[in-house]
Amino acid sequence: MSLSIPIERHRLDNGLKVVISPDPTVPVTAVNLWYGVGSRNEPPGKTGFAHLFEHMMFQGSAHVPKNRHFELIEGVGGTLNATTWFDRTNYFDTVPSHELDLALWLEADRMGWMLPAMDQEKLDNQREVVKNEKRQRYDNQPYGDWGERLQRLVFPEDHPYHHTVIGSMEDLDAASLADVELFFKTFYVPNNAVLTVAGDVEVAAAVASVERYFGEIPAGEPTPPVPGRVDVEPRLGGTVRDEVVSDVPLPRVIMAFWTPPFSSDEFPVGEVCNALLGMGRASRLHRRLVRERRVAKSAISYQYPLLSGASMLLTWATGYARSGLEDIEAALGEEVLALSDVEQAEVDRAIALVETDLVHALEQVASRADQLSMFELYFGEPERVNTLLDRLRSVTVQQIRSYAKERFGPDNRAVVTYQPANGNGGA
Amino acid sequence: MTMVDRTTPPRGGPIRNFDFPEIDRRRLGNGLDLRVARVSRLPVVSVRLFMRSGESALDAGRAGLAVLTAAAIDGGTRKRSGTELAEALESIGARFGASAGWEGSTAHVYCLADRLPEALELLAEAVLQPGFPDDEVARAKEQHLAGLRQREMDPGSLASDTALARYFPSEIPYSRRDDGTPSSIEPIGAQQLRGYAEANYRPEGGGLVVVGDVDAGEVAALAERCFAGWQGVPASAADFQVVPATREPTILVVDRPGSVQSEVRVGHVGADRLIPDYFALSVANLILGGTFTSRLNLNLRERHGFTYGVRSRFAFRARPGPFQVSTAVGNDVTAPAVREILAELEGLVEGGPTDQEVSAARDFAAGVFGLQLETVGQIASRVAQLVVYGLHDAYYHEYRDRMREVTTAAAHAAVRRHMRPAEAQIVVVGDADSVAGALQELGVATVEVEQGQPRG
Repeated sequence: MSLSIPIERHRLDNGLKVVISPDPTVPVTAVNLWYGVGSRNEPPGKTGFAHLFEHMMFQGSAHVPKNRHFELIEGVGGTLNATTWFDRTNYFDTVPSHELDLALWLEADRMGWMLPAMDQEKLDNQREVVKNEKRQRYDNQPYGDWGERLQRLVFPEDHPYHHTVIGSMEDLDAASLADVELFFKTFYVPNNAVLTVAGDVEVAAAVASVERYFGEIPAGEPTPPVPGRVDVEPRLGGTVRDEVVSDVPLPRVIMAFWTPPFSSDEFPVGEVCNALLGMGRASRLHRRLVRERRVAKSAISYQYPLLSGASMLLTWATGYARSGLEDIEAALGEEVLALSDVEQAEVDRAIALVETDLVHALEQVASRADQLSMFELYFGEPERVNTLLDRLRSVTVQQIRSYAKERFGPDNRAVVTYQPANGNGGA
Repeated sequence: MTMVDRTTPPRGGPIRNFDFPEIDRRRLGNGLDLRVARVSRLPVVSVRLFMRSGESALDAGRAGLAVLTAAAIDGGTRKRSGTELAEALESIGARFGASAGWEGSTAHVYCLADRLPEALELLAEAVLQPGFPDDEVARAKEQHLAGLRQREMDPGSLASDTALARYFPSEIPYSRRDDGTPSSIEPIGAQQLRGYAEANYRPEGGGLVVVGDVDAGEVAALAERCFAGWQGVPASAADFQVVPATREPTILVVDRPGSVQSEVRVGHVGADRLIPDYFALSVANLILGGTFTSRLNLNLRERHGFTYGVRSRFAFRARPGPFQVSTAVGNDVTAPAVREILAELEGLVEGGPTDQEVSAARDFAAGVFGLQLETVGQIASRVAQLVVYGLHDAYYHEYRDRMREVTTAAAHAAVRRHMRPAEAQIVVVGDADSVAGALQELGVATVEVEQGQPRG
């Protein structure tokens, strides 16, 4: 099948890019904002700030007291949240469609008038919330530091992906109200954002509402360049390693490869490789490592869609207590490289599953809006939602084979291993 | 440019009504209860085959057998190996899986609608003719055991699992997780799985739910073909009454030296899915800890900064499941967080919710219900609930009206009936040296300290 999600683009005078995607078949509308700022924009000493700032965006704005955003959206039967990542921060409200204006009014108020509502007490409160988030999701979790370790291995110290989104406790402690103000004025400007409205809307009415609430927010300066050195060598030049012994239940090997960035023409090849390796029960890693060789209890792969200079394709295999780390790593390394003998039938199967998953994602207007925002912000091309599948289908077997040979060998690997303390995990 | 009034929230437009999709219900020749809903937004379909073969019907010695059997279904059929089954499904882009829980076992598939005939045939083959080859069963079992081990070392899972055994007496299945224990899983072999599926994967008491861009008549004809000759009643049936393990409050600290945070659970036996005040209790729980703006979250997170988040939840099952407040908090604020949780529970029981809270919570519940009917999978899950709990056919058509009818008095009555802070069982997984003393000083109960799972 070929996809044809309707897409209307618009741009306000202040630079805000607007995408409207009408779908009258459900009485639901998604309002989705992507700001072009993430952890990559944090200079040294400010790690974790983009995410802490995201929390501050929920602390009220000039006309919206603290907690009121949640009260109003939940009160009409809507849901909302936000996430921060390497290259962007997104905010999303999903509401019954007759409440579109409420969501727009709330998002506009914090884009335009956030600072008057900020104070030290709110910052201190959210600093504690975020520190507890860090403890809950990373510090108090088996394997919780894997991302931090991997990023340090793969990206040089002056690269914007060297540090994690959650940041360090010291930097969080150092964050001040002055930082909040500067960050807001630098990055939370309409010309650094995309607003997508998807769902049960009429295009003209939606555009008019967006104009009404966002139109008078003044444009800001162009955002400063990403700090640090973005250009990197096209491969790691060897196998870089971090071997960890800690309180984990089972041995785990994480193996990542430097890949070209999201903007590269080669990126779709990596996406097909990712599907071949890790998507479904017939995929390479599950079939070979879990089902046949039984060296791992589970195995996954993930292709990061990163923008700055390079991206990563990540694989990992969690072993059994009886599995040796060397055996897991050797088997994982063999299976990723073995993609260099892939045949067309296997590629077709992987693409069939990608298609199902994509259609499934587009069933929800919130997820539709999120993808439209991403493609508009990153590439100025929301239509990629409709051409995504064709881009993957056009990847050839020969391209996959070459990609696997060039990218997945020992000259381009970052490996983090976890060995259970006390020798074994007991299972 | 016209000036905008930014001081007051815009009023909503007229509500767009919509209905839960009509369900075509019929009985197949073999007695299987078929329910089909046509939803044609996108050319996809979601299928759920529910069988009343659940963990509730298993004694402690066989705990986890239904879950492991469902997990091992992907090991292949009498005609195909596990890899061949996966390849057959995935080459038509079908997402297939099977799982089991307290009430039963479910096989499900999601695919493009024009692939339904092949997908349903494969699903039927997997469930009616499972192979359970020895090597695949050994693999599934080893994975299962390793998964149990992982949970023991995950502080949040450990806290939840430990708490169950505080709420329910050990002879009740709900006192454990629904996927068993190492000692109940260890003796299971391929023969037990074959025997379990043969005796319990039976259509009576179950149902087949198909939602998507399909025609009910065609689905019925297809299902007749795929499930022809399949008959019978599951051999095992649940037979127990739920009583609380104790009526006295208790505090247990599971020592995890070096923890930088405490996982906290506060709860007791809750309520079953068919209680007459289900809607009122759901509204009450939203107010306590079911939304971002709930009393618990505004207190522990937004006022005190104790936590990243806190929630409360009733696990509604065929019999009363747990009612539980869950959060993770810093070591130094563990006792204050427990104190605040108990205070919020007591406050809600004593003072009841306000009219404004009840109004906001029921509007949230009614609105979110509509938001959660976008995908065929979401709708199929709802329809399957009708089968699982024997809810009447129009249940989801009336759902929002029933939710909007909840009064403040009814919500308060539900709180008084189902929340009992004086009987709270408190479990903390964390660094005992840092937290036990302050917990003792709360004066709620004598703190028991237990060593965490031995490492290695």
